[in-house]
Amino acid sequence: MEHRWGMAIDLDRCTGCEACVAACHAENNLPLSDPAEAEKGRAFHWIRVDRYYEGEFPDIRMKYMPVLCQQCEDAPCEPVCPTYATYHNAEGLNVQVYNRCVGTRYCGNNCPYSVRFFNWFEPEWPEPLELQHNPDVSIRPGGVMEKCTFCIQRIQRAKRDAKAEDRAITDGEVQPACVQSCPAEAMTFGDLDDPESKVSRLAASGRATRLLEDLGTKPKVFYLQRAK
Amino acid sequence: MDRRDFFKILSTASTGVMTGACGKKVDRYLPLLVSDSEITPGEEAWHPGVCGQCEAGCGIIVRVMEGERVVERKGELFRERIATIKKIEGNPLDPVSGGRLCARGQAAVQGLYHPDRLRGPMRRQSPRGHGDFALVAWEHTLSEIAGKLQHADPSRILYLTRPQAGTRALTAARFLKAIGAPPPVSFELADFPLELKAAQEVYGWNDLPVYDLRNAVYALGIGADFLGGWASPVFYARQFGHFRQGRTNVRGKLVHAESRFSITAQSADQWVPLRPGTELSFALALGHLLLSEKLARAAAPPQVLEAFQAVDVAEAARVCGVAEKRLRQVTRELGESEKPLVIAGASIPHTNSLAAVKAAAFLNVLLGNAGKPGGVLPPAVDPTGSRPAYAANALAQIERAQFLFLDGVDPLYTLPASTGVAEKLARIETIVSFSPFLNDSAAYADLILPDHHSLESSAAVFTPVSEGMAVATPFVHPLYDTRATEEVLAELAKKMNIEFVAATPKSAMEKMLPADQIWDAVVRQGGFRTEASREASKPPASTTLGTTPATFFGDPSQYPLHFLPYRSLQFDDGRSAHLPWMQELPDPVSSAMWSLPVEIDPQTAAKLGIKNGDRVRVESAYGKLEAPAYVDPAAAPGVVSMAIGQGHRHFGRYASNRGANPLSILAPAWEQETGALALGATRVRLARLGPGGGLVQFAVVDREAGPWGHR
Repeated sequence: MEHRWGMAIDLDRCTGCEACVAACHAENNLPLSDPAEAEKGRAFHWIRVDRYYEGEFPDIRMKYMPVLCQQCEDAPCEPVCPTYATYHNAEGLNVQVYNRCVGTRYCGNNCPYSVRFFNWFEPEWPEPLELQHNPDVSIRPGGVMEKCTFCIQRIQRAKRDAKAEDRAITDGEVQPACVQSCPAEAMTFGDLDDPESKVSRLAASGRATRLLEDLGTKPKVFYLQRAK
Repeated sequence: MDRRDFFKILSTASTGVMTGACGKKVDRYLPLLVSDSEITPGEEAWHPGVCGQCEAGCGIIVRVMEGERVVERKGELFRERIATIKKIEGNPLDPVSGGRLCARGQAAVQGLYHPDRLRGPMRRQSPRGHGDFALVAWEHTLSEIAGKLQHADPSRILYLTRPQAGTRALTAARFLKAIGAPPPVSFELADFPLELKAAQEVYGWNDLPVYDLRNAVYALGIGADFLGGWASPVFYARQFGHFRQGRTNVRGKLVHAESRFSITAQSADQWVPLRPGTELSFALALGHLLLSEKLARAAAPPQVLEAFQAVDVAEAARVCGVAEKRLRQVTRELGESEKPLVIAGASIPHTNSLAAVKAAAFLNVLLGNAGKPGGVLPPAVDPTGSRPAYAANALAQIERAQFLFLDGVDPLYTLPASTGVAEKLARIETIVSFSPFLNDSAAYADLILPDHHSLESSAAVFTPVSEGMAVATPFVHPLYDTRATEEVLAELAKKMNIEFVAATPKSAMEKMLPADQIWDAVVRQGGFRTEASREASKPPASTTLGTTPATFFGDPSQYPLHFLPYRSLQFDDGRSAHLPWMQELPDPVSSAMWSLPVEIDPQTAAKLGIKNGDRVRVESAYGKLEAPAYVDPAAAPGVVSMAIGQGHRHFGRYASNRGANPLSILAPAWEQETGALALGATRVRLARLGPGGGLVQFAVVDREAGPWGHR
């Protein structure tokens, strides 16, 4: 395995501004919802910002927590897919192959983080809104499951660039769209197998935790808790 | 040129060498405007520009790639290959954005490719406000406008615009001067008239102060929602990240005093909930304590010291609704910090907010941090001096106007109905709007002359954060038969036989550029920065500090609740509501999509039997609105707030006739010294109308309680 991609999110920096959410929509051609579909719980946000009230008025604080696919090492979504549409790739990513997906939604049912989204409706972009589409990312048809890919197209691109220049990918060279956009610089992406990478160092920090760690899913997203 | 090459260019730009798409060295600059016929499929190019979504003026880079659109020629449909914009990111070289960008800035691309963008000049076909327009030809329309301008009384020509300094403002000012009309006037919620006036009267600065939060150790926000819709959200979020976790062994502590649990208050280590309109008492009490506890490090003008000394701290604490112990604790932490900073502003102005912002700014003077690292820094000098002035009497000017230009503003949406703005607009002889969309005010216009989208235009923009200017040049051809407003003004001048030259980025910046600086290099980097011209600190020797409490509109026995409409990160003052990504971006707190709720505290909600998602009526003495309810555990008792953004009558398919506009029910109340709209001065009452208010939430926690269960 060349790399093991992971992310660290510093909740002490995160302000809940949702720049990451918009970045993800722009990068990954997420389908537009409408109020009726959204009301049925069918809107798409591969990354969302959960909020937790801490304390009671007037001594109240808010904790914001961006939640995306945790790219679990032992992913509950993978073994239940009858068509191998969701599988573990060599770099530890939970990859979704749209062409194989037949829409059983077992994976979504099994995901404890609610980060998988089913295309309940055919995506529509009234002309000329489709001009904004990122050509690096395919449009998903109705009836298939989709989710955060850690911007695999950006990873591939970095690999190609590095290969063309006959060098290794440098730390920080790959940035998923959410990480790239974050104004508070709360998010860090990199190779967890490289002990010198920034993400590895953050993951080893005393503030690092993982979401629903007790489920044994071994997520590759680390949350650095807010300092007291 | 891909993104990595873009960075290479930035490092080699001054030498005039660049790297081409395949890593080959090319000794010339490629033209910035991507020719549709020359674009290579699959190849990307990144170009620098300036974000036009708000006045912060973030430097951006834009990804341009091949696209295809269908055009109609002589009744037949053709596919046409064009250069299209795929993504917008922050320009790493820009001192404001630093390579980052907020949600709204990224969604700007949806404004460019919005299905309801106006495709050419439009003429009104029905009574004002109805919104029926038909396409017309440029030539004839411009001649007609020129004719009307020639016959209008020049003193009754009014140009309403945004408060941004740059080539647009410069061009408008020149045009108006040439035709003998008064200079352009800014009159909107993002004007910061209070903060600007306070900066002048406290520090002697002519623009917004720059808070060096990055290097501060203890920061106290008073009334300024600097991580939300205030001043420069990306700039301050970047500073905040560093303030918190960017330094070894130093973690900045943020305490925030505001009446709402704003996004800044949410990120703070401590929120000090003030009763609405008591920021002044809070700041005065802190000043008093800094002096009495001998924690002040520098002197303030005598009248200000007197005002601080006259404060009864126990009484102030009672007025603010904050324990006196808490006031003393905050003062001690602030006064004893190695690098204390007070961030002063009025996100939701009250009738006495100038005094409040000044009193808060004088705390920085007492702490001696003006001009020092970690303190409040002077703004850069605007090389063009073109920031349109805020006009407190703009309403009176609208009333007497014969000819009105609307440039980037929507007064019908942003002003309360009680100001009579609709009637005033209806009486104006001629209204010309430059809006790229049909919005509420444009629906009152006789003619709409749609401006290019900011991504299709050239501009130089000044921001007080940094010296120099950010520069945008067009990278794609205009999608429709639109025209840059600068160009329209130039053509009008020509038709009127008046001498006039529109300002270009190059002409606006000529004076500041060193002789060896190549213009191409400036364009390639997205602007030019220098470290030469920060304003000198020349605080006026004497200034007074008002101590009048805020006044509220509406009889408290009938309207017991305070109403606080606020500018959110998604919608600002409502100008981004037409973008579908912003509509479906969950509100950070209520998680509302495609709707904006009224935020109600649990006590009030329980008393009225209101539950999350119920339909409620908010009623002031000046109007009423209906919206879904969100019971916010962090709302202060008796304070009802609502984000501005919905309730447009006309604003494209995603925003029209959706939800309610909280501004519409406000009292015609103004900050007493500056004439800024006092957003927080209206009292309201609430009534539950029934279940099913149309609150659409994304949050799983809340949604699981609904009938649909798990996704």
